[in-house]
Amino acid sequence: MTDKLLKRENLDKLIGSVTVGGGVFVAPGMEARRVVFREVTRADEMTHDYIIPVNSYKDWVFPQTEVIARFAIKKDGVDLKGEKIEPPETVVFGARPCEAASLASLRSVFTWDFIDEFYTRREDRLTVLTVACTAADDECFCTTVELSPESTVGSDVYLKETADGDYLASAITDKGTAFMEKYSTLFEGASAEAKPKELFIPEKIDGIDLDRIKKWLDNKDHYDDPLWAELSRKCFGCGACTFSCPTCHCFDITDEGTTYEGEKRKNWDACQFEHFTLHASGHNPRDAQFKRWRNRFMCKFNIYPKKFTSTGCVGCGRCIRVCPVRHDITEVMEAISGR
Amino acid sequence: MENIYLPHLATITDVYEETPDVKSFRLVFQDEKLRDTFEFKTGQFALYSAFGLGESTFCIASSPTRRGYVQFTFRRVGRVTGGLFDLSIGDTMGFRGPYGNWFPLDEWKGKNVVFVAGGIGLPPVRSVIWNCLDRREDFGDITIVYGARRVADLVYKNELEHWGDRKDVNLVQTVDPGGQTPDWKGKVGFVPAVLEETAPSAKNTVAVVCGPPIMIKFTLQALEKLGFSTDDVYTTLENKMKCGVGKCGRCNVGDVYVCKEGPVYTATEIKRMYNDF
Repeated sequence: MTDKLLKRENLDKLIGSVTVGGGVFVAPGMEARRVVFREVTRADEMTHDYIIPVNSYKDWVFPQTEVIARFAIKKDGVDLKGEKIEPPETVVFGARPCEAASLASLRSVFTWDFIDEFYTRREDRLTVLTVACTAADDECFCTTVELSPESTVGSDVYLKETADGDYLASAITDKGTAFMEKYSTLFEGASAEAKPKELFIPEKIDGIDLDRIKKWLDNKDHYDDPLWAELSRKCFGCGACTFSCPTCHCFDITDEGTTYEGEKRKNWDACQFEHFTLHASGHNPRDAQFKRWRNRFMCKFNIYPKKFTSTGCVGCGRCIRVCPVRHDITEVMEAISGR
Repeated sequence: MENIYLPHLATITDVYEETPDVKSFRLVFQDEKLRDTFEFKTGQFALYSAFGLGESTFCIASSPTRRGYVQFTFRRVGRVTGGLFDLSIGDTMGFRGPYGNWFPLDEWKGKNVVFVAGGIGLPPVRSVIWNCLDRREDFGDITIVYGARRVADLVYKNELEHWGDRKDVNLVQTVDPGGQTPDWKGKVGFVPAVLEETAPSAKNTVAVVCGPPIMIKFTLQALEKLGFSTDDVYTTLENKMKCGVGKCGRCNVGDVYVCKEGPVYTATEIKRMYNDF
């Protein structure tokens, strides 16, 4: 596959070409002094100096809140209309290779038997342009979960930065090929001088062994191990880890509006909240925070791999960065690997 | 675009006041075609909407042998059930389903069936009871052990009377000690103890159990004492659900998604699950 060159000065044109037709261009930009994924219309709204944005771009395939149906209560019954979505072409620029791997996981949940077209229609219209990492921070642990800045899984177009700030682009998927063809004037032939910057490969955390973790979790007796309560004592259930996680998919369905009309909505929810599993009877199968945390860990390292043969954790490190009590998932991975 | 979260509209055609805080509704779909084509199996569940308030999950309490309508029973507890409670005949509500697996009645042909239910645990079992009674010749002895905290909390009082009158059903009713009224003719005692006392034969028999977690726990022990194999004991797990289709992520017991792989399980399968109840 030959690399093409996307010049940084052409980013503005690329954004313009995508958005002029009603498309959406999502890229890292500064907001409240943090780098976040957000919709941009000009290249100068973007930032290139970041490890990974605070939020996941899952918001553009699985929005925080979305209408699934609208209803109006009339004298003689209820008018009910299912929401139909026609998502615009959406481009994510500047994804990291770790996060790119997460879409397959979300898709496996949303297409398991019943197909959630609110998800699939958006994802089908999404093109992921990944920029490989030339830096990492202490929270990055992709190599510990068998990914790396070199992984191309989930990326449609894989970009490497050059010393001049341009990008060497290779199409990974058909969608990526189609994208580069559609905007072919902006993807030039790359000269031999265009050399990519060296990628930064974070060190694998020595004491962590994913197979051992999965096997340890496979033994249901370990569900009652005192380790869970010990290791998650400081968690107070704010749910920030789940909202920033690119593979967390849990949601609630609620009716919102007035007494006479409103909408059914799908809203993000979190397994870290006490009400999440609370029965009407008052019984709660996960009545303590450690049980909720145990569920999240189980979901990532046992349920996802076993049920969906996909990865539940991509090592992006967001859950560690946003945690107000610095509850580090890798510490738990390490502790369990040592069992 | 197919929308898996879109409910069917249904009209409430009958309301039954079971106890001061429990009602049953009979629903008929507003889409005439659906009335004819709608099918479900005993044990499956659905999500029921009170528009403007939300959806709740209940098992279908009617039997698939009775076509043209579905029936469900609920207790007034929170926002949605409170809203449903205020609806009356002629009102519109939402129905999404059927979802989940079912009781394998065809595998039970020629066997005796013992039903053990407590309180609001009878509605899911009611579907199985009527299904068995509507094809009575397929089964041997039918025993129903049903109990509630107080006489007032027994649901389906008319049907209990009917089942009690039938020669081909052995109905044993009980209330917890202190829950009896002066004219109470049934037993006084907890369901697991009354089950042991009733002592149905385990030979060629399957048991269907539903009720509060504590009742299930002791009923399973009682059945074991009576010689039932855990393979022949069935129950239905009533976990909190929002989507019903394996996406919203809250009904799992360890690695088992109750909405997709359940809600019906044998006691053998329950024993294999993670301690996440």
